[in-house]
Amino acid sequence: MSFFASVGRTTIRQVEYVGGLAIQFWHGLRLSVRVNPFAGRRLRWRRTMEQMAEIGARSLPVLCVVSGATGMIMALQSGAELRKFGAMDAVINLVGTSMTRELGPLIAAIVVIGRSGSAISAEVATMVVTEEVDALRAMALDPIDFVLVPKYLAMMVMMPCVTVMGVFSGILAGGVFSYFALDITLMMYLQRTVEILLMRDILSGLVKALVFGSIIVHVGCLEGFQVTGGPEGVGRSTTNAVVKSIFLVIIADLVCTAFFYFFWR
Amino acid sequence: MSEAARTTAERRPPHETDAEPLICVRGLEVLYGGRMILDGVDLDIYRGETMVILGPSGCGKSTLLRHLEGLEKPSAGTIRIQGANIVTASRKELLQIRRLMGVSFQSAAMFNSMTVGDNVALPLREHTDLAESTIRLMTKMKLQQVGLSGVEDMYPTELSGGMRKRASLARALALDPEILFFDEPSAGLDPIIAAGIDQLILRLKEAFHMTIIVVTHELQSAFLIADRMCMLDQGKILAVGTRGEIREHSHPRIKQFLRRVPDELDDASSQYITGF
Repeated sequence: MSFFASVGRTTIRQVEYVGGLAIQFWHGLRLSVRVNPFAGRRLRWRRTMEQMAEIGARSLPVLCVVSGATGMIMALQSGAELRKFGAMDAVINLVGTSMTRELGPLIAAIVVIGRSGSAISAEVATMVVTEEVDALRAMALDPIDFVLVPKYLAMMVMMPCVTVMGVFSGILAGGVFSYFALDITLMMYLQRTVEILLMRDILSGLVKALVFGSIIVHVGCLEGFQVTGGPEGVGRSTTNAVVKSIFLVIIADLVCTAFFYFFWR
Repeated sequence: MSEAARTTAERRPPHETDAEPLICVRGLEVLYGGRMILDGVDLDIYRGETMVILGPSGCGKSTLLRHLEGLEKPSAGTIRIQGANIVTASRKELLQIRRLMGVSFQSAAMFNSMTVGDNVALPLREHTDLAESTIRLMTKMKLQQVGLSGVEDMYPTELSGGMRKRASLARALALDPEILFFDEPSAGLDPIIAAGIDQLILRLKEAFHMTIIVVTHELQSAFLIADRMCMLDQGKILAVGTRGEIREHSHPRIKQFLRRVPDELDDASSQYITGF
């Protein structure tokens, strides 16, 4: 009996969590629309810009190195197999399409989770613990409006940007491999890649970037808002935010990929 | 109203006039995880008075304050502020009522990512259409009101505990609230600075005739600033009255609290005053 009870309780908790995410998402979306850089609310816009720098610009170095390394690994691994069939130049197709469609957004998401997802949940949780969120509510300000919306807007702008940069560095690393293994110049390699890539590949990658970005911000904020147990809770909520974000990003990746596979060919 | 009549009206304590109470709490019950934190609290607070909510640690006084501020929803009961029930109020109504309130939190709750000036200016920037120069001027004024000047460009972490508390008071005063809530104004401050905060509260009361609600367990400060006090113990109100009435009250628990007598060790409720 207790087995069923615990399964039931866990299920209810998870459903509640997803429900909480959905409510927060809807609420955040409604408030995001109202942020207008040209009318009042200068503060919100300034915070958005700060977040853009944090999420976007400052994560670029790590992201480019990680994506570049992944692109190179892809080229090496696939090259080793494709050599057996004498189809070495298929490496270009493989690196190009898999980076744009799949690995680029995923690796960008994982780097951003590590840098910003954890930082977001730590920041929000600290605000809850030090009564700053209560202070906002007491001042008749909505914490979602004030805390989440700038981060969300910044993420929606920057996530596709960093994804593009990541994809580019991954493809470039594939080019370096091709230069040595296939004896083609970098220009030729890039030209081939452009020929191979369809608009569909690029767009599906960018859609994924937006979906992953939403997950990162909302899970980070929700974990922060739900913190319990004072300062120790902050560490716990950060860990939870990272673990749950990675989990949900990969599940969402599967859903998106399946969707594109069946409905957008 | 003639000059003479107004002076008499002013001389009469607010709770003795037949005016409607500004805040009216009836049958407030709060349950947390099966534990009764507040058990049928009834309380009237009148315009212009300073009400001190007194009680041992864990008696539910901070919980009561959070409910009065509308930060949490009770399990049962009503809280009316200016006639509007904040328990059933919609989000919009609640936001309107909150504009009447200023809250000074126990931990000051300054936003550490903003300068002190930006902290104080935040309610003005968010809720008014004032020009930036006016906002700057008002921020300076509010900070001067609480005895701080030249700290606008500093960050909250650069201030001492007492200064932070005063800065958070300046932020609470930014929109000229009618009701000011204070959670443990002197917690964690040395006696001199704590006395300074008490003086500040008295000055605010005199200058602006604000309704001030203070939660504390500091007896000295409570008897200095209060018009009326309410003694809370184990989620129930034991007594409400003026300073004199509370001091002379015959309830054994109130006597024990005021005379600082520890509980018997085998007393099951001893956990409630271990904080003292």
